[in-house]
Amino acid sequence: MDLDALKKSLEQDFLTISSKEELTALKVKYLGKKGQITKLSKAIKELPSKEKPAYGKAIGELRNLFEINFEKFQDNLEIKSIQNLLEKEKLDVSLPGSFQTQGKLHPLTNTTKRITDFFSAQGYLIEDGPEIESDYYNFDALNIPADHPARDMHDTFYLENGSLLRTHTSPVQIRSIEKRGAPLKIICPGKVYRSDADKTHTPMFHQIEGLVISENVNFGHLKSEIMTFINFFFGAETKVRFRPSYFPFTEPSAEVDIMDKSSRDWLEIMGCGLVHPNVIEMSGLDSKEFSGFAFGMGVERMAKLFYEIEDMRSLFSNDIKFLSQ
Amino acid sequence: MKVLYSSLVEKIKTKPKIDGFCDDLTMLGIEVDDIQSFKGDKVINFDLTPNRGDCFSVKGLIRDYCALKNITFSLKKTHNFKSTKVFAKKIKLSAKEACSAYSAISISNLSPKKTNNFPKKIKNSLKAAGIQSIHPLVDIVNFIMLETGQPMHVFDEDKIKGDLEVRLAKKNETLQILGDNDLELKDDCLVIADSKEPIAFAGISGGNYHSVKKSSKNFLIESAYFDPSAIKGKARRYGFQTDASQRFERGVDYNLHEKALAEAVNLIEEIYNGDFSKIETKKNSFFPKQKIIKISSEDINKKLGTSLKENLIISILKRLEISLLEKNNSLLSFKIPSHRFDLSIKEDLVEEVARIIGYDQLPESKSLTVNQNYEVSEYQFTDSIKLFMKNKGFNEVINYSFLDPKILENLSISKNSISLKNPLNKTIGTLRTSLLPSLVSNLEYNLKRGENFLKIFEIGKSFSLDNPQETLNFSGLLFDDEKFKNWNTNQKFDFFYLKGILEDFFSEYRVDKVSWKKTKNNLLHPYASADIFAGKNFIGSIGSINPIFLKNLDIKKPFYYFEIFLSAISSNHLTRLKASSVYPSSQRDFSFEVDNSITFEEIQNCVKHSSKAFLQDMKIFDLYEGANIKKGKKSIAFRLSWGSNKKTLSDAEINKEADLIVSDMKKKLNAVLR
Repeated sequence: MDLDALKKSLEQDFLTISSKEELTALKVKYLGKKGQITKLSKAIKELPSKEKPAYGKAIGELRNLFEINFEKFQDNLEIKSIQNLLEKEKLDVSLPGSFQTQGKLHPLTNTTKRITDFFSAQGYLIEDGPEIESDYYNFDALNIPADHPARDMHDTFYLENGSLLRTHTSPVQIRSIEKRGAPLKIICPGKVYRSDADKTHTPMFHQIEGLVISENVNFGHLKSEIMTFINFFFGAETKVRFRPSYFPFTEPSAEVDIMDKSSRDWLEIMGCGLVHPNVIEMSGLDSKEFSGFAFGMGVERMAKLFYEIEDMRSLFSNDIKFLSQ
Repeated sequence: MKVLYSSLVEKIKTKPKIDGFCDDLTMLGIEVDDIQSFKGDKVINFDLTPNRGDCFSVKGLIRDYCALKNITFSLKKTHNFKSTKVFAKKIKLSAKEACSAYSAISISNLSPKKTNNFPKKIKNSLKAAGIQSIHPLVDIVNFIMLETGQPMHVFDEDKIKGDLEVRLAKKNETLQILGDNDLELKDDCLVIADSKEPIAFAGISGGNYHSVKKSSKNFLIESAYFDPSAIKGKARRYGFQTDASQRFERGVDYNLHEKALAEAVNLIEEIYNGDFSKIETKKNSFFPKQKIIKISSEDINKKLGTSLKENLIISILKRLEISLLEKNNSLLSFKIPSHRFDLSIKEDLVEEVARIIGYDQLPESKSLTVNQNYEVSEYQFTDSIKLFMKNKGFNEVINYSFLDPKILENLSISKNSISLKNPLNKTIGTLRTSLLPSLVSNLEYNLKRGENFLKIFEIGKSFSLDNPQETLNFSGLLFDDEKFKNWNTNQKFDFFYLKGILEDFFSEYRVDKVSWKKTKNNLLHPYASADIFAGKNFIGSIGSINPIFLKNLDIKKPFYYFEIFLSAISSNHLTRLKASSVYPSSQRDFSFEVDNSITFEEIQNCVKHSSKAFLQDMKIFDLYEGANIKKGKKSIAFRLSWGSNKKTLSDAEINKEADLIVSDMKKKLNAVLR
């Protein structure tokens, strides 16, 4: 058989086989001891030496052709067998995944976090203090001496030993100045208590209070800080107003209202002001050298506005259907 | 304070619309709470801040409004009246600082000039303000109080024995006021007394016996100046407030008492014929002197971030009746009017200027830098624990810190608990000593609403009389009634599930040397709970509730619970990342049969002790009792890993370790390799 005929028959053979066994048989047919390519390559000895190189090269090409076809067929066989296997591994992907539910953080935690994250990014340190407080830190040091009518604003829970449950987070201000001195920039989230309960008041609630003590702090600094915060929390188009108010620990004092987008009513959201010089002095600083501003807000109220919660008490029912929203 | 709209605007020429009027006052710091209709008029309810005693009257409110608008207001002028009798009593001011001025008038033989001529306006004003009508004279002085801010009191003169004295109460003196209660007066209580006994709690309330009645014939009206410090807190001490005490403790214009009394007398004269004495006034040297505040325009601008001209500042303050006394270079001395008790330091004047300009008109300034060192706070630590638990599938709850003491007693954890002196009600009268009762009540609540699977946690404080009084706790509760079903998992929500979460927690926060010991906590199931230690520190407990206590709860099925004292643990940070070994590690599986009483901890210790070299990890993968295992025995299977960062371990080396373990397990724990 000449080389060309062999090449044709080889190519024809690869087209007709379909199994691994037939592939092995082909290998025997062409490259086995008595295989057709093997036979022809043995015939090289009998050729005149002039023709040997060309003939050798042609045989080599024939071998290559076989190998290429052999590997290609083998690869195809493998892919086919994987494909057969894949079908057997078929899943019903419409079945639900294994139980992996994440929990949810309490809306008050999320609200607090949203607020403290903002102030933290502005360089405020997050501070906390005790919930059982003394008259001194809760009132006196904040310029609310005994018998001050402002104590009427705080319905205080007292303990048998004369201590009290803090009525606001403001005592943390004093404790922080005493501990850290000035300049100072802190944000204090925490639980506070007042003996008051109705639809809009719970006897325990959460406040966040901010304090900045530095040199030459003015009302404009306070306004710009609050405005930046409100724009972040309620959106840049929120209408805001500052109006005079009274807190014994700030002077001047202000209340901040935002306008409710649907009802067009003003909603009170926080109190603030320049720190009263008496408070600065009582916490051990010189009020001629240092000045500051402070602001405070109720977390429940912020959560109520943010999540449009109707009844404040639902925040403490700990109903799992409510919490896992 | 509730005031009729008409009585406010009658004092100004151009009457503003009520909405704009109320908005203006609110923006002045005089907050309007609500507006209600009243007999064709409106009642405005003001939420006054405690500093603004001067606004506790129609006159005070309209005065501030006119200062804002820079307009004038007109008040009724008082005129002289004919005195036809003498004021027979002497007035003695014994508590000199507490009462430095006292005026009184004696009135008799009153008869109406016309029948039914008592002014409707007075009745309406009182009704709108919520003040009861008692007696025509009392109504008149109360009306004048609403108008001017000066509280006055009408005595039945015939009941007063001898002269009048303003003094502090003596030991064991009592006074019957309002209801039938006798107040036991303390020696810091200021009283008006006759020669026999106290007849009024000064500035707060008259005594019942000496007050005017329908039958009274002769009257004595008092109008005095009481120092706020003598009145502050006194009524509150006895659990009440009066219209007088609210005004006096905030401060009543010290130049008003005589004028207001004259106004009242003028009004009485309009309605009645009668005999009037002269107004008798006693004053002493403690009578307040006009306050002066010195401030420069720079002081004000520095605080407000403004550049207001000195002239503007002076004119603004003038509108508030704060007039310039003198000017020394840039330092301005201002005279503070007698009605402004709230103005005493520079900052107070800063606020006055800001109020009139309007807070909204003040500029914002951006350039404030505060240099301080940054620190990660404990708050951020607890926040990250919350995220950790959220990722473990737990919902966060937040409970009140106080609860029903009965719940604590039912659980036998009421020892050292702190009670509130003045709880809102008994069911929230005691501070929680543990977060457990809170979580249990959440479980009860949700079970009642048909939940049968609950994973909740809370981070909050618990309180006790011990030192420290409050500790920050981290607590979780796991309840699975239905043996949680999911088509693709056999996850059991049991003790070990919860323990696994805590193990991961300790590993995440690198809490070292954690051990789990038999619990000493009586609240917990003695054989299915553990106390947790970090080194020698007791840091919390985990387990199920002792079934004895379940009887006291609404829950009849067991649940799992843990509580960790966050302040008792110290979390560490990773400070060095080691390179992992380039040599592979080798694993071998073992299965032993041991006595049932042998704990995993004992086996683990035995293994670790036997194979000190190269042992990296030990993982239990099977625990079995039952068929093929002798009674009283259990089969335990675990996988050990060995490795070195210097070489690949040979089979011979690992065989040696394995042999050591097998022989030690036999020797120490009588364990047989299966």
